[in-house]
Amino acid sequence: MSQLSVSRLSVRYGPVKALRDVSLEIPKGQITALVGPSGCGKSTLLHTLNRLTDLVDGCEVRGSVRLDDDLEITEATTDVLALRRHIGMVFQKPNPFPHSIRRNFEIPLREHGVSRANIPGIIERCLRDVGLWDEVSTRLDRSALQLSGGQQQRLCIARALALDPEVILFDEPCSALDPLASAVVEDHIAALRGRVTVVIVTHNLAQARRIADRLAVFWVRDGAGTIVETGPAANLFTDPTDPDAARYLSGERG
Amino acid sequence: MLNPLAAAPRRARRLDRAIAIAGGAASFSTLAVFGWIVWDLIRLGLPNLSWHFLTGEVETAGRSGGIGPVLVSTLLILLCCLAVAVPLGIGCAVWLSEFVRRGSRASRIVTGGVDLLASVPSIVFGLFGMTFFCQVLGLGFSILSGGLTLACMILPILVRTTLLALEGLPADLRPGAAALGLTRTTTLRQVLLPTALPGILVAITLGVGRALSETAALLFTSGYSTRWPDSLGESGRALSVHIYDLAMNIPNGSPNASASALVLLVLILLINLTATGLTERWTRHLSGTTS
Ligand SMILES: Nc1ncnc2c1ncn2[C@@H]1O[C@H](COP(=O)(O)OP(=O)(O)OP(=O)(O)O)[C@@H](O)[C@H]1O
Ligand SMILES: [Mg+2]
Repeated sequence: MSQLSVSRLSVRYGPVKALRDVSLEIPKGQITALVGPSGCGKSTLLHTLNRLTDLVDGCEVRGSVRLDDDLEITEATTDVLALRRHIGMVFQKPNPFPHSIRRNFEIPLREHGVSRANIPGIIERCLRDVGLWDEVSTRLDRSALQLSGGQQQRLCIARALALDPEVILFDEPCSALDPLASAVVEDHIAALRGRVTVVIVTHNLAQARRIADRLAVFWVRDGAGTIVETGPAANLFTDPTDPDAARYLSGERG
Repeated sequence: MLNPLAAAPRRARRLDRAIAIAGGAASFSTLAVFGWIVWDLIRLGLPNLSWHFLTGEVETAGRSGGIGPVLVSTLLILLCCLAVAVPLGIGCAVWLSEFVRRGSRASRIVTGGVDLLASVPSIVFGLFGMTFFCQVLGLGFSILSGGLTLACMILPILVRTTLLALEGLPADLRPGAAALGLTRTTTLRQVLLPTALPGILVAITLGVGRALSETAALLFTSGYSTRWPDSLGESGRALSVHIYDLAMNIPNGSPNASASALVLLVLILLINLTATGLTERWTRHLSGTTS
């Protein structure tokens, strides 16, 4: 069953066409990786899934994105605050709030009406989920900015998990980290399989090969980004049909 | 053949040294001027300073007695000014940075107005205050009129400096907060404003410094009265006005003018130190090195 169905989606930033006529099924509980060269609209697609496109002046979205075959995400009347609770996001650069580790959880949890009594339990569960609990349990009241880059990124994943989302979007979550920290973060993303639907943009094809169930290859065609090939990751890596996608996946270009 | 590339480094090095020396000289002369002013104030003013001077009544037009009522009036004027200017200034900066598009017509009009306000000489604020607050609003020569006039005057510094603090925040804070489903109000109150607080304190400190050292805007608004103020509706003389009056209008007033100026200097220094201390503590609090 599809968690998210994107159909005939086009996005433009003023005169710049970022995406044209994109359709994509994102299955529940699986890891879908979006790959392709720079500027072909991968981040733009992620931002339409949780309506972060609303923050950009002049950004115009057409087409349909449905959550659980039920909620039309692109509809103006959609409650975006509730939507973003269901669809979390982790960015390329770790972006914890410059407050204590505890405040990083309290602010979003309180905003979504979780009672104070439940918060410590949620913090512990989510920090354990990303393997951070043993490292930080004694310094929850210290600043999140004192953590290393890899720890900050895992904190951001834990913070996203705290809201119990069905989907988490990852925009190049490892590209600002050193190889060891990157491997740790990747393992924790892979461990979400089955529990959370994951959509991940990555420039690291080896990473996509390791963790993705499904793959979508983006390319710029006629001045706008679009998906040139999509399917189970294993098939695409061994037997791509689109020539650009084939060259890109075999590492000849990009 | 000489290598043409070899000549450049030696010339560049000499230029480096020349610039370093010139810069050092400029810094030292600035420091020397400041030191000279302070030394002069201390030399002339310190002999007259005493507890009695700080708390006593103004006698014989300031030649003798103290500056007690003047200090109280000064602080009351400052409080009136901040009570109005701080919420207005921060509100305006928040609106400009978070609620209107940069470069939009509304934002251009407001920032243009603020910059225009910043370039108005203070004597004009004084005349405006006298007609608008004293006469049109009927507040008369009063501490309130003076405070409100000062508020108009320091508004541009508050807006500009707070805006700088908000625009200087890490760019990924806002999408990060939005992606967690936070409302704009929560983002502002729990994320952006606490993070920008040191910058906002700097804005307030700059405003206070400007307000305390202002004379022209207060001459026609809060007036000259040297009585102990009973209410904000009464005239009250600010320290800067007192100094001006002693130095310019009162024969033999200059020893006490120096003493008052020394008090003003110390007051401004104290406020600056407090603000720096608060900023440091807040930064430590956010980065979590306390507790
Ligand atoms: N806020 C914006 N305003 C204007 N144009 C934008 C904006 N964001 C993206 N674009 C344009 O939209 C197109 C797609 O950008 P997008 O960031 O989605 O690409 P991407 O595939 O994520 O690239 P990368 O791999 O470099 O992150 C690009 O041409 C880009 O210049
Ligand atoms: Mg991108």
